[in-house]
Amino acid sequence: MKHPLAFAAAAAALATLPFWAGDQYQLHLAALIGAYWILIAGLNLVVGFSGQLSVGHVGLLAIGAYGFAIVAGTHGVDPWIALAASGALGALCGFLLGLPSLRLPGFYFAMATLAFALIVTELVLALDGLTGGGLGLSVPTFPEPFDTPAGNYWLILAVASLVTLLTWNVARLMWGRGLICVRDSVVTAQAVGIPVLHAKLAAFVFSGLTAGLGGALFAVIQSYITPDTFLFELGMFFFVCIIIGGRGSILGPFLGTVVLTALPELSAPLAKLGNFFYGLLLLLVVLLLPEGIGRLFQIAMERLRPRRIESMPIAPHPQRLTDAIKAGQR
Amino acid sequence: MLSALIAGLATGALYAAAALVYNVMFSTSKVLSVTAGHTAMLGGVFGAWFMQVLGLPVPLALIGSVVVGGAFGLLTDIVAIRRVLARSDEHLWLLSTLALATMVQQAIALWWGTEPRPFPRVIPQDFGAGLLDQKYWLPVIVAIGLAIGLEVFYRRTLYGKLFVAMSEDIFAARARGIPTDRIRMLSYVMAGAMGGLAGFAAGQLTFAYFALGLTLTLNGFIALAVGGLGSNVGALVGGAALGILSSIATYYVGGEFQQTISVGLLMVVLLLKPEGLFGTRNVRPV
Amino acid sequence: MSAALQAERITKRFGGVTALSEVSLELLPGEVHGLIGPNGSGKTTLLNLLSGYYRPDQGRILLGSEDLSRRPVQERPRLGVARTFQKPRLLPSLSVLENAMIGGWRDTRSGFVASALALAGARREDRALRTRSIDLLQGVGLGHVIDRRANLLEHAEQRFLEIARGLTGRPRFILLDEPAGGLTSTEIGHLGTVIRIMRDCGIGVLLVEHHTDFVFRICDRVTTLDLGRMIRHGTPAEVRADPEVIRVYLGA
Repeated sequence: MKHPLAFAAAAAALATLPFWAGDQYQLHLAALIGAYWILIAGLNLVVGFSGQLSVGHVGLLAIGAYGFAIVAGTHGVDPWIALAASGALGALCGFLLGLPSLRLPGFYFAMATLAFALIVTELVLALDGLTGGGLGLSVPTFPEPFDTPAGNYWLILAVASLVTLLTWNVARLMWGRGLICVRDSVVTAQAVGIPVLHAKLAAFVFSGLTAGLGGALFAVIQSYITPDTFLFELGMFFFVCIIIGGRGSILGPFLGTVVLTALPELSAPLAKLGNFFYGLLLLLVVLLLPEGIGRLFQIAMERLRPRRIESMPIAPHPQRLTDAIKAGQR
Repeated sequence: MLSALIAGLATGALYAAAALVYNVMFSTSKVLSVTAGHTAMLGGVFGAWFMQVLGLPVPLALIGSVVVGGAFGLLTDIVAIRRVLARSDEHLWLLSTLALATMVQQAIALWWGTEPRPFPRVIPQDFGAGLLDQKYWLPVIVAIGLAIGLEVFYRRTLYGKLFVAMSEDIFAARARGIPTDRIRMLSYVMAGAMGGLAGFAAGQLTFAYFALGLTLTLNGFIALAVGGLGSNVGALVGGAALGILSSIATYYVGGEFQQTISVGLLMVVLLLKPEGLFGTRNVRPV
Repeated sequence: MSAALQAERITKRFGGVTALSEVSLELLPGEVHGLIGPNGSGKTTLLNLLSGYYRPDQGRILLGSEDLSRRPVQERPRLGVARTFQKPRLLPSLSVLENAMIGGWRDTRSGFVASALALAGARREDRALRTRSIDLLQGVGLGHVIDRRANLLEHAEQRFLEIARGLTGRPRFILLDEPAGGLTSTEIGHLGTVIRIMRDCGIGVLLVEHHTDFVFRICDRVTTLDLGRMIRHGTPAEVRADPEVIRVYLGA
């Protein structure tokens, strides 16, 4: 944590948002960003860290949302249990989707996730006894005090903080580096003994869990869900947030989620352009800044405070090296 | 049952055409472009627009659709391929073609609308022809014609041989002085034009519909992967198998599970024969 | 601990081409073993077989009496076999330290869930690995670039980082694929120092190299390949004097 003060200020601002937000709509928007982020935080480990380009996570979001609506709404189960069930269901579906598809090369994997999203939509329409088909389902709220917009926001903030903490732990410890190694060089990953499929699958199942949780909370915000709530384009949107934010970062994709969710809501012309705008952004980032917008800030910082890269000759320290090798052999 | 077979064959022919579009772009660039299906979508939408809105005669509309498809192929190469191929990151082309596909789909949705619109008659024919209706046989003829045309092109023409040389070993091709950038651009224009033609021919079957592109990108890819990447015969067989299987399944189970079944087919083939029915094992996919 | 890493009468074919034919090689702990030969003689193929990227068509790869021929490449680090690459394969967006830490994956006992929860065990492992990696980096002479992003490294630094990454895996054997390529003579001297230290610590070092002066200077034993066959092995003096070796490789 490089900037504890900035972190504390941001946390305080987020926690007190319901008191200073201008109106209910802004609070709704913040809750929506939070629900999206819960999914994107997990997806980030898949796309941004392990480099597997999943465009179909909207299918897992839909599964979480419908799971919650069916368990808590149709069957009247306690919403907290239903929330946990949605997460578990998302993780299970992530496992079932990831196990065969993560063995495939990049484009095949992307197509498998695209197909998965379309299949989920197809099944939601086909199993209308369960899902209400095209008519949809209404979604129950959480019990007091989480049934108000502010209460709902705090609930989402809590889940989002927890999920962010988990991904941050993964990223800063060995598995985060292992995933990046799988992304950048499978050959190196094999040489150092990283179980490649296992690592990819672990990240993918985790993303299924967060997609399930995010889906349940998203459904509560929407209060009524239909297949049209989960168009394939929404999956594209998640994906774009991460790529624009920058691969291998957590803050970048978070800012990407905030800005890309808020922009179209605040500016009508952008909303009209919709996916054209996201596609254009994605194209520009790929062509001009393949490392994400975050790289822009880095470049700007380096301009302001140029860091001299001094070149020093390599000179081994025999004694230190001997000690270090011997320490490992004990 | 027979009608399900015929309709399946026609749809399958369109999938096969999309698979051929993939193959042509792949041969020179080793890129599987997400825009493959969108070329055919443009052919359908612009065909309908030329005839219905502008009132152009059929041959002109046909040429127009092919030109639009080719222009889109050119755009794909310039915007999404050329700059990206120079970089080492092998996944960037997936992102750039996905971005371009998203943009063109949304642009068509904004301009043309999100409802499917009917596609006019191409050849004068009575609507009571039933299973002999042109909407069934036009796509089949075009798909087979494209496959045969490609084989002739690869074997008999200089440019075709350059395509083959590039697909076998791009470094050797460059070393021998083949202008690889220009050949690749040509292949993208050609692929786009083929897609435009196929979309035009299948217009009466699919209607002029903005969202067709993504479906075709997926199903064309399934046909390609089933048939074997790089094989034109495989593309035809894969497309036909996919189209017929999903329409038979629709006949027995109901249309709600169409996509589920076609992906099921892909999974079974990839598990049993990862290189596809007509693919060669040493072609490393992607 | 005196088990050797051995290639036993290995034959490897690619399609119709026989890359290696009945080649044997024995790498002992605490020796530097040179592997030389003209381009296309099968040196890197043999290294890839020893490190598990290829499987032999005939013959066996042995570690002591254990047959590794069919064991997947990912298991080599746990068995104590590390390697470097001819073209350095570093992770460009990570720091030098993080790149070195990747090499210590075999000591990661914590699963994904334990990492996500940052359980005490996972954090302890991470700290231990970090300390060990810093020590090794300083030892090989990269102490001054520990926090630098790997894509900003100079060529020699990349080569030494590859070795440091191999060492964080606590190997018994390390296979170096042309480590002196592109280095200046001073840097080759430092490379020699590092290799000798590894040997003196009991590590078996396989050195695939074109730089024959360097090989003959530093190796205890040398094996020569030509066209996939072994033509001579022995001490540097014996190999250097062999007429066949002179004819196919060293020149008159």
